[in-house]
Amino acid sequence: MPARTRRTLLLASATALVALTATACGDGADAASGGGKTQVRIAYQSIPNADLVVKNQKLLEKALPDADVKWVKFDSGADVNTAVIAGSVDLGLAGSSPVTKGLSAPLNIPYKVLWIHDLIGENEALVAQKGITSVKALKGKKIATPFGSTSHYSLLAALDEAGLKESDVTLVDLQPQDALAAWQRGDIDAAYVWTPTLSELAAKGGKVLVTSRQIAEQGKPTADLGVVTDAFAAKHPKIVDAWLEAENQAVELAKSDPAKAAESIGAELNLSPEDARKQLDQLVLLTAEQQQGADYLGKPGAPGALAKNLRDAAVFLKAQKAVDAVPDRSVFEKSLAVKELSRVVK
Amino acid sequence: MTLVKEVRPGRTEPEAVAVPARGRRAWAAAAALRWTALRLLALVVLLAAWQAVVAADVWPRVLVPSPADVWHAFVQASTVHDGVRGYSGHLLGEHLAVSLRRIGVGTGYAALVGVPLGLLIGVLKPLAVVLEPAVTFLRTLPPLAYLSLLVIWFGIDESPKIWLLVIAALPPIAAATAAAVRGVPGDLVEAARALGAGPVSLLLTVRLPAALPEILTGVRIAVGVAYTSVVAAETVNGVPGIGGMIRDAQRYNQTDVVIAGIIAIGISGIVLDALFKGAERLAVPWRGRA
Repeated sequence: MPARTRRTLLLASATALVALTATACGDGADAASGGGKTQVRIAYQSIPNADLVVKNQKLLEKALPDADVKWVKFDSGADVNTAVIAGSVDLGLAGSSPVTKGLSAPLNIPYKVLWIHDLIGENEALVAQKGITSVKALKGKKIATPFGSTSHYSLLAALDEAGLKESDVTLVDLQPQDALAAWQRGDIDAAYVWTPTLSELAAKGGKVLVTSRQIAEQGKPTADLGVVTDAFAAKHPKIVDAWLEAENQAVELAKSDPAKAAESIGAELNLSPEDARKQLDQLVLLTAEQQQGADYLGKPGAPGALAKNLRDAAVFLKAQKAVDAVPDRSVFEKSLAVKELSRVVK
Repeated sequence: MTLVKEVRPGRTEPEAVAVPARGRRAWAAAAALRWTALRLLALVVLLAAWQAVVAADVWPRVLVPSPADVWHAFVQASTVHDGVRGYSGHLLGEHLAVSLRRIGVGTGYAALVGVPLGLLIGVLKPLAVVLEPAVTFLRTLPPLAYLSLLVIWFGIDESPKIWLLVIAALPPIAAATAAAVRGVPGDLVEAARALGAGPVSLLLTVRLPAALPEILTGVRIAVGVAYTSVVAAETVNGVPGIGGMIRDAQRYNQTDVVIAGIIAIGISGIVLDALFKGAERLAVPWRGRA
């Protein structure tokens, strides 16, 4: 008898386990769950822009009391792309290089650019060890940068501008924190990275040779973009509008009361409000109205210059063998969510 | 692999007694052929299931590429095509060779330190009390946990990678050696002592040879551990190197290259393990005999 009870128990627990696994699997694939509430899954990154204000002040949650908003942290745009392909993210933040990669073959991710979170300014820069005073002087030197990132793109643009080929220097694929370690030991001569590593390198005697703001002025801008999957945008236009309004509200707050915005950003990044303020100031934030300008997302019927910038990035990625082919400019123009943007700008 | 080996003698022996030598050899060949056929069949079934999953579009193609995609990535990574050499500027074979070299050097250093260390731990009780927890401590650490520390201490070139592999490969060798030395039959030690052997010659001429088969097994396990750690070692500035290649491919969502790299690691691991077993048989033919 006891043996039989044990067997029954075992069978019951096995059945329970199978049922549990089945529900767990089903959960990932289904976006709309959680007791009838619509789930909004947002991929964010630790970048000191207004997206963190939205998250910290729960602006979206307040605007959408009927939705189940989930924030998921990512370390790179490549990971965000993977998550979108896997269907686990609806809205996300990724740099212009990963977004270009996502919009090109072989990925061809069905998503569009809804928002410009920030234009990368002084928060990404090329720093060199003492004694190196120009980009040209980097010939034959070792430079670290995280491959596939916006910094990588800007670095190659800077080298090109200085008349150097990629083969004239030794490029090392390092994440910012590893670049810092290598720098301290003198293993690398220069690094193109972002804050806070960038500030630490500068504090350790590094000289800033060129910033992403200057690269942008030379016609190769980089940005952090907000993307939304086509399916989600078609199915939940109201949520998309609410998201845009929340982001716009946060940008306006960052412009009118930067101290308050910096406080929220600092809370998210474990930084003091002063440090957060400093990092926030290095970025260029744009309101929804500004983003409708011809230089950026543009308006319906007149897509902005962002499409051209993304196509330039695709040319760069093609040279890196990271995409199969460079799509037409029209592909990128269609990927700008100008219709959605025009809905929220009154 | 072990399963196949264990099954075979049980089935051959009863018939082998009756049939003459020639027939026995033919029978063994037929059996080997049958097992090979079974393995091939399993492989075909696996590939077919993979293809079926891809054809059914259960997951996006970018996440689960087809066998043909992976084969294409494999060929692309192994050849020079439109001016590009393999993947990330090196052929797949070169990536693998660099990684194998790192594994070889790392395990080599680990054996140089680990065998004497294990001998001492096995023989000297006070040393064992102190060092054994330390070895266990090292063994339970995941390589990624100390990689960042090694990068800070040793930079981004070869030395942190070798150090990581040494730290990963040392504990299995030391532990296996210590256990083997302790397991040497007391009769052997007593006999040698009776014949006038001192502690040093006892260690080197009796204990070490008696423990050698187990030590070699420890080294083989250590190579396996180094194999699983090499991808972690190559997450920082790992190109050329098979781990660096996989990481690069992952960065650009090139899943087919990732899978091709993983298969290359797995197959080379099987080959290396088989070679090691063969070497073991040659080096310690007395293994398994009393």
